[in-house]
This record gives sequence, structure tokens and C-alpha cells, in this order.
Amino acid sequence: MPDLTFEGVSITYRTSARGARGEIPAVRDVDLRLPAGGTLGIAGESGSGKSTLAMSVLRLLPSNARLTGRVLIGDTDVTELGFGKLRALRWADASIVFQGAMHSLNPVRTVGQQILEALELHVADGWKTEAARKARVADLLRAVDLPPAKADAYPHELSGGQKQRIMIAMALACEPEIIIADEPTTALDVIVQQQILEMISRLVTERGISLLMISHDLSVLATACERIAIMRDGEVVEIGQAHQVCTQGEHPYTRQLADAFPTIGDPASRRNPVTRRERTLPASGVPGGMTDEVLLEAKGVSVTYHARGRSAQAVKSVDLEVRRGEIVALVGQSGSGKTTLARTLVGLQQPDPGSVIRFRGADLPSRGRGLQAFRKQVQMVLQDPTAALNPKLSVYESVAEGLRVQHYRGDETQRVAQSLVDAELTPPEDFFAAIPQELSGGQRQRTVIAGALAVGPQLLVADEPVASLDASARGEILSLLLSLRDRLGLSALVITHDLGLAWNIADTVAVMYRGEIVEYGPTEDVLLDPQHQYTRELLAAAPTIDRTIA
Amino acid sequence: MSAQAASRSPRSLAWTRRRTAFAQFSREFAHSRSGMVGLVFLVVIVALALLAPVIAPAWMLDVTKVMDSPRFAPPSWEHPLGTDHQGRELWVRMLWGAQVSLLVGFAATAMSMIIGTIVGIAAGHFTGWAGAVLMRLIDFFLVLPSLILAIVLSTVLSRGVWTIVIAIGLTSWAGTARVVRSQTLSVESRDYVERSRVLGAGHWHIIVKHLLPAVLPLVLANTTLTVGSAIISESTLAFLGLGDTTLQSWGAVLRNSMDVSAATSGYWWYVLVPGVAIVLVVLAFTLVGRAVETIVNPTLRSR
Amino acid sequence: MTNTVPPTEEILLAETSADRAPRSTSGLTYFLTKLGGAAVSMVMVILLGFFAFKILPGDPVAGLARERQLSPEQIAQLRTQMGLDKPLWQQFVDYIVNVFTLNFGESYVYRKPVGELIGDYFWNTILLTGTSAVLAIALGLWLGQKAGWRPGSLFDRITSGMALVLWSVPTFWLALILLMIFGGTLQWFPTGGMTSPDPPADLFARILDVAAHMVLPVLTMVAVVYAQYVMVMRASLMEEKSADYLVTARAKGLRDDLVRRRHAVPNALLPAVTLMFLHIGGLIAGAVTVETVFSWPGLGKLTFEAISGPDLPLLQGTFVVFSGVIIATNLIADMIYRRLDPRVRRG
Repeated sequence: MPDLTFEGVSITYRTSARGARGEIPAVRDVDLRLPAGGTLGIAGESGSGKSTLAMSVLRLLPSNARLTGRVLIGDTDVTELGFGKLRALRWADASIVFQGAMHSLNPVRTVGQQILEALELHVADGWKTEAARKARVADLLRAVDLPPAKADAYPHELSGGQKQRIMIAMALACEPEIIIADEPTTALDVIVQQQILEMISRLVTERGISLLMISHDLSVLATACERIAIMRDGEVVEIGQAHQVCTQGEHPYTRQLADAFPTIGDPASRRNPVTRRERTLPASGVPGGMTDEVLLEAKGVSVTYHARGRSAQAVKSVDLEVRRGEIVALVGQSGSGKTTLARTLVGLQQPDPGSVIRFRGADLPSRGRGLQAFRKQVQMVLQDPTAALNPKLSVYESVAEGLRVQHYRGDETQRVAQSLVDAELTPPEDFFAAIPQELSGGQRQRTVIAGALAVGPQLLVADEPVASLDASARGEILSLLLSLRDRLGLSALVITHDLGLAWNIADTVAVMYRGEIVEYGPTEDVLLDPQHQYTRELLAAAPTIDRTIA
Repeated sequence: MSAQAASRSPRSLAWTRRRTAFAQFSREFAHSRSGMVGLVFLVVIVALALLAPVIAPAWMLDVTKVMDSPRFAPPSWEHPLGTDHQGRELWVRMLWGAQVSLLVGFAATAMSMIIGTIVGIAAGHFTGWAGAVLMRLIDFFLVLPSLILAIVLSTVLSRGVWTIVIAIGLTSWAGTARVVRSQTLSVESRDYVERSRVLGAGHWHIIVKHLLPAVLPLVLANTTLTVGSAIISESTLAFLGLGDTTLQSWGAVLRNSMDVSAATSGYWWYVLVPGVAIVLVVLAFTLVGRAVETIVNPTLRSR
Repeated sequence: MTNTVPPTEEILLAETSADRAPRSTSGLTYFLTKLGGAAVSMVMVILLGFFAFKILPGDPVAGLARERQLSPEQIAQLRTQMGLDKPLWQQFVDYIVNVFTLNFGESYVYRKPVGELIGDYFWNTILLTGTSAVLAIALGLWLGQKAGWRPGSLFDRITSGMALVLWSVPTFWLALILLMIFGGTLQWFPTGGMTSPDPPADLFARILDVAAHMVLPVLTMVAVVYAQYVMVMRASLMEEKSADYLVTARAKGLRDDLVRRRHAVPNALLPAVTLMFLHIGGLIAGAVTVETVFSWPGLGKLTFEAISGPDLPLLQGTFVVFSGVIIATNLIADMIYRRLDPRVRRG
């Protein structure tokens, strides 16, 4: 069984001449070793170079990438192989589990055909004949807990979790010695994520395969890998035993990454998201809190979608309340209906008849002036700040948009500046002329929040506000939400799939499953003493740093 | 910079942004060799067309004034591009023809673009039955054979240049509308449009502030390409004998050439010259259009 | 004349994302739905055929009268003959009835029922355009995917360059040029018609004779139209090149040309096929000028002769028939697409 070794590997990308970018280093002088049969995780944010490094093992980098150094599988230097030997080595010696839930499978061929393709390319004794190959495909599917009949399915007929299992089955097909898993659980639900991680760990242990796993989520790596390396800006900043790195990291960046994913139940992270700034407290010096006044009230809200003759109920008779000064976390996985509920509460979606939504005692207007006035009171922040900002408009214009639409009569410039200050983008004048491309992810989200603040709302509905952000920006935005509550008395309804986020900042948690609220109560109660079965499952499945598998 | 920025009004900020964007666009366009070649060529042609009355005074087209000129004279120093069946200089007819061909091309394109953009944005933005009806309308016009329809229109309406313009404009807007509709749909699904709605924006704001600016670069690229298409259409219709037969369009010249069987009689310049002119002008428009497209959509860079 | 602007990359990028929402239905349901759509389109075409001549400003009789000197009695007689003296709704009803009985009226120029004329010439046009379409699509697909796989290569630059130039060529002019060179100067091919004046008796020789007459017209039509298809396929494949599943295919150890043939091209075909069939209208419209130049006895030539009249019933008839052919072709395209895209077959 061979080791996988990176010796002094540096990878640079040549970009097009526009903007005079020239050469961009993606990986700088990396030395890493994955011993035979071991497991190594590489953690890092976007731009850290971890995926580039992983792709270099099979030389799958784009043509404008240049690699120096050596990548060794056993004693073979992959960088020096001719194409024939390289193609033979690919998949047979080392294979990659891509993000199956995305577009890594050919949409117009069945998944069985795609696995067969790998077997046909690397014929071995175990599958010399066509019949033997078909039997092997069935075996592989069984190994990943899928019925063999699924081999005749097309990718679009499978769920995200099923597709990921197919990717795993395909990676195992030619009995490789090394498997590289590139973000294998991103875009999957927490519960499915746990199943997939368990499966990967079990399979590699059973078959003695070395595992190299890439992820931005430290807790995911902690559950599946013995050792973890942290990468930042192309360099390895720390490497060690998983538990050690996560709980007692030496490098400050490591600690920052680890702290971004709080452990539920840890009082140190309760209402204390990690951030580089001091949380700005209000003048009184006392952090704000929940009051009893009910701002938004939802009773028996149901939402049904009608499409092409079929109807699906996305939200089933939900009761919810948000008080002034309260931060409510609405937790659910994809398909739970949480986004639909959020959009309905903001007036973007029509609820079914019989649903009651009241804001400060008055029914939610559905159109016209009433709706416009309502929009002054309740605003929404969407998930992806890059998509939420018109790339051609400057920060000033994006923040001022709400004021212009609402025909604001006061001093627009002053209001925009104030909103930027509230969103902690200071000095505001520096940001007036900037376009989104020039800002970081965290700054863009602050701009979106500033745009929402400009119209002076009392309640902010945030749909996955930090899901698209790097770990370092995550804490900043969460801290901002708390700070807005303290300084401006702004209530928040935060939609998320992440229980850790709820632990970080929420007063109240509502857990949503298949359109219904299954559990609802103060954060400490729900997360530390869950009553409903589903909540318990979610908590058990959430990867945390303290828990490891087997 | 901060002190200056604070004292500038938001309007001047917006204008500075637009000016910078335009300057960058021009710089990038200058980098495209094919685009620049096309643009220069077009500028020359337009200049020649405008100067036609000066370079080649109208009397040179008068059949009665060129009685002494040899008919069907092949190209030579005396007759640079040869003469036609009535003794007129071909290069004179070409210059005057440029006026008509370009005019019709631009006018028909303008009509097609305006209709197409409006219908396309409306079809993409409005959901429900309005959007569905408009989409059906677009698809219907796409199915119609535009040349036949243009022939029908040209026949029914009174003969003339503007008939041709209307005929081409009314039969070619659907292509633009379809493209604009697709682009509008994809922009509508972007988060920043949703954000606009949450902020309280109505139809007008979304269309003018977000949809139109997102769609206009595409429309611009499309426009340049449509002009080429319109010129071909005009020449085809003129060749078929529609439109104003007294005018000198390049298509009409080719019609003359067919009427006198120039192709089979060996008068090759009569057939070659107008056609080459059309090809070069349309090619120039196409090159410019593609250059604009590459700038507008950076993902097309590799071509 | 092309129906739309050249299908450049922008169009593909915009179209494929928004329009093709896959839905699964049984084959029969799908066919019936599309057939229904086609029927609706046909009805609208027929309505348009009526209104184009009636609603628009312009008196067809005045148009006729302009061309020849007619006395007032002759004008009145013409009106009665054309049914123009009846009230509008009556004319409409007559028109609908006529269409359903396939009676398009009588041609002014030929003095024969239009339906008969069209029947005589219909298959000649189908022969010409059908052959051209098949060749253009095949050539376009093959060149396009080869060029799109390696953009910027010599092959690609030559292919794209040629396509751009040929796209800029008016169909009728290319016809004239080919006629001039191959028909007139070199005399390799006949200069007109579908058959020689004395057609040979033997079937095989007759086929050869028709084929010889077909070469130049088909060459013209293919040359102009294939260019569009090359650019469509090329753009589609270039778009597909960045797909993730191609990385998976390469990672498995697949050779580059197999990656192209087995994975990239089948996916790139989908939007390309849609666009290609959409622009069939351009090919069919090209028949008008090509048939005119080469004197091919088809619907296009009929249309040309109808212009000089103007022979309105004939124009109406060819308009409806041409539209019908395009609608039928789009129906075929929908069925082909369904075959190609499993997301539409099984949802």
C-alpha cells in the first residue's frame, strides 16, 4: 500500500491579461504525507488552495496551472508520468469522490453506465467479463446501501444523498489504494451528512484505503480523520492530531477556524460569536434583550405550491411569534419549508386562506400602500450576498435603493452613511463608490444589511445569513446581528440549518421538519433538553469537534 | 478620497460610474483586432455613403446623361468597377446604393430592437397570463417564415422604402425578443431583484433599474448583429423586386444583373461587386457585434 | 434571409438556463401536447394569412390596377371575382371554409387552382430543402463540435472564420456566383431547372439527372445555413466544456476524445438541436431565392412569380404552406429532443 506524499508542491495559475493579474499562486511550497491506510483532513476557507492541492494528485488541474515540486504515490512521481501511464493510474491507484450532489455526474447517462465505464477502463481479474462487471456494479451499490436497481436511474432521478453514495461507489469501483474526498458532504443535510461520513469511514477502514478529505468545515473533518492540516493562502499553517488541532490549536488562525463552529452546550460561545472586533454595546453598557411586546405573530400559516397540476404543501399550519428585541432561530434542513415560511412572513409569498399573519396587531397587507408601509417595518436579508447585490451598482446605490423606492424625504446621503455605520462599515465614505466585486464576502453581507437597515425596520428576517461566508466572516456577521439588537433594538428571525448558529446568538429556537414546527422554545431548553425525536436526531448528527466516529 | 467622495452628490457618483464603465468598455474593444477592423471599415463605408452626392453627383445616375458610356464595360482604369447594362458606372451605383442599404438596415434594426426589447422584457417580467400570452406571441412569430411574410407585407402595402423597413422590422423582432426574454428570466431569478421587491420596489423600478441595464449590453451586441441581418434581408427583398425599384440599393443592382443574365453572359463584375460589398459590410457588423459580445460576457473570452 | 440574428453564444447561455424546464410525461402525452401546440400555431397562421391581406392598409385591387391599366368595369369585376365586395365577416367565413377544403382560390398568374399548383411543386421543394437541411445539420454538428472542443486552434479559427464569412453572404448572391462559375464559365453543372429538357427514360439515369441539377442549389443552401449550425454547436460545446462531470470522466482515466464524444457532445447536442431546428425557417426561406436563381420548379419559385402579379391567392397559399412545413419541423424537433434528453423522458 503506497503513501501519498507532497514534496515542496507549488501551484500557480496563469490568468488572462485583463486586469494584469498574471500569475496567481494557489499553493505555496506544501509538504504533506498521508501514510498508507491513514486518514488526513485538509481544512481551509475558499482560496486556501486545498482543492487545488487535491486535484493535483491525479493531475486534473486546468491547462493554465503550473506545478513545481513532486507528488508521489508510493515511489511514482505523478507529475512526471506520460499520459498513458497517467490514465492507467487514474482511478485504479487513486480515485476522487466529488461533490455528487452538484453536477459531477453526466446527466444523460445512467449512473450504472458511468460506474461501468470506470470498470471498462481499468480491467482487472475481478471484472474481466461484462457479466462480472455488471455484478460488481450491483455489489458496489449494495456496499453504499443502495438497491442495485438504482443502477438504471439517471442522476436527476436521485436525491443529493443518493448521488453522493453513487460517487462513493464509483470511487471504490477499481479498488484504489487512495481515496480523495473533495467536500463530500457540502450541500447535504446534516443527517444525511452524518450517514455519508460514517459510510466513508467504514468503507476505508474495512478495505484499508488511505483517505484524504477536503472540507471547509473543521467539525466534519474531526469526525472522520485522524490527522488534520490547516491551509491558508496556499500554505499549511498547522498539522497534527485531529482532536489536538481542533481544541488546542497553536496557530491563531486554527483557533479562529475552530471557534467558528461552536460546540452546543458550551457556555463560552453562548451569545458570543467569535469576532475580531469588540462588540459595540449601547450607551447604557447593558446588552439588550427580549421584551414581551409581540411584533410578528403567525397562526396556522400554511403555504401550498401549485405547479403543473400538482400541489405540494410546503408549510403546514405553523404558529410562530417574534417579540421586540428577540432573536429567533428557525432551524430546518433543505426541504423543511423554512425559506417558504420566511418569504411568506415577509409578504413575498401568498399563504393559504385561513392563515393569520399579524404585525403589531394588524393583519399583513397583501398589496398596495399597506404592503409598502409594511416593508418599512420588516426587512429581509438573503443568503448569498454576492447574488443579492446588483454587481453594476455601487455600495451607495444599493443601500440607497430602499430609500428611493420608498420615496424617502430626508437627507439620503446622511441616511446611507448612518446605515453603513450601523452595519459596521466605517468610515462610510470610503465605501460609497465601491462595487461589490471589490468587497470581501463579509463586507458584502454588511452592505446588504445596511440596505435593509436604511429603511428603518423593526424586524429583520435573515435567510441563512452566513451560509455562503467563510468561517472568519461568519462570526462577524453574527456578532453584528447581536449588536444591532443591543443598539437599535432590532429583532431578528434567523433561518438556518446550523444548530450551532442558534446556540451562538438565538434566544428562541423553532425546529422545522417537513413543513411543521416540531419543537419551539428557549434555546437552552430546545438544544440541551430536546423533546422531539427529530430534534434529538439533528443534535446527534451535527458534527462537533468533541465527537469522533469509532 | 473620502473627503471628496462625501461632498459629491449621489447623482454625480452614478455618472462617474457610468463614464468609467464606458471608458473601460472602449479600451477593451480597442483590444479586439477583428472588432477594430470591422469598426474602421464601417466608419469608412458610412462616410462614403454620406458623401455620395459629393463624390458622385446625381447626374452620373441619369441614364440620359451617360448615353455615350459603353455598356457592360469590364473594369479598367476608365471604369474602375465596370459599367452596367445602361452604361452607368458601377462604382457610382454602389456609392448611392450604400445609402439605401445602410439606411434601411439601421431603420429596420431600430424598429426590430425596440419592439423586441419591450416585448421580451414584458414577457420575461410579467408572470401569469400576460407573460404566457406574450411568450406565445414571440414563439408564433419565430415560427413564421420571415421572408415570406416580408414578401406578403411588401406586396400588400404600397411599394416603397418604408414598406421594406416595416416588413423587416415586423418580421425580425421575435429573435431579439426571445433572447431578451431569456435574459430577463435569468435576471429575475437573481437575488438582488428579490431584494428589490422586499425593499418595496414596484414593476417600474425593477424594470428600469435592474432588468433594463442587465439586458441592454446583450441588446447592444444583438443590435449590431441584426443590422447585418437586416442588410441581407433588404438586399434579398430588393433582389426579388420589392421595395422602391427606382432606388439604388445593392440588392436592386443584383436584380438588374439577373434580369440581364449577367451571370451566364460573362459580365462577372456586375454580379461580383455588389455581392462582395454586402458580404464585407455584413461581416464588419458581425465582427463588431461579436467583439461587443465578448466584452459584455467575459465567459466568452476564450473565443 | 435569416429569421433571427446569428445564434451566438449569448443566446445559448441565455436560453438553456431559462427555457428548458424538464418535465416527465409519457411519450403519448408529450406528443399530443406538442401536437396541440402545433395545431394552435397553424390556426394562428391561417388567421394571419387572412388578416394580412385584409386588415393592412393597402387595397390589393389597387395594387393590381397599378400594374396594368384597368377600366372601372374591370376593376369592379375583379373585386367581385376576388370576393372583395362581400362584407368582411363573410369573406372570413369563406376563407376558413376554403382553407379546410384546401381551396386557396385561383392563381391570377397561372389561372389554375392554387391548391393544385402547390400540390405539383410541393415535393420538389421538400426534396431540395430536405436534402440541404440534412447535409447542413450533419456538417454543422460535426465541424462545430470539433471546433468547439479546441477553441483558438487552427482548425477552430479556420472553421469559425469560414462560418462567419459564409453567414454574411446573402443566399441569392451565392446562388448567382455559383451559377456564374460552375454553370456559366465552367459548365460543370446545368444552369437551371430540375431535369434536362429531354429527361432520360431509365429510372436510375433520371435520378442522376435530377441529382446533377440539384448540386448547385443544394450547395448554395448548405453553404449559407451550415455556418449558423457550426456556430451553434461550437458555442454549445464550449459552454459544456467547463462542466464538472467532465472532470469526473477525466479522473476515471478516459482519453480526451472519448471524453468529448461520450460525455460532452451528447450534452452539448441538447441546446444545439433546439436552436438548429428553430432556425430551419431560415433554410426554408432560402428556398425562395435559390429556386428562383436556379429555376427549380418549387414553391419558392412560385412565390417569386406571385410577387410580380401580385398574385395574392398564390402568395396566401405559399405562405400558409411554408408556415405549415416549419411548424411540422418544429414538432419533429420536439420529438427528437425528447429522445435525446432523459430528463424530459423520465422526471
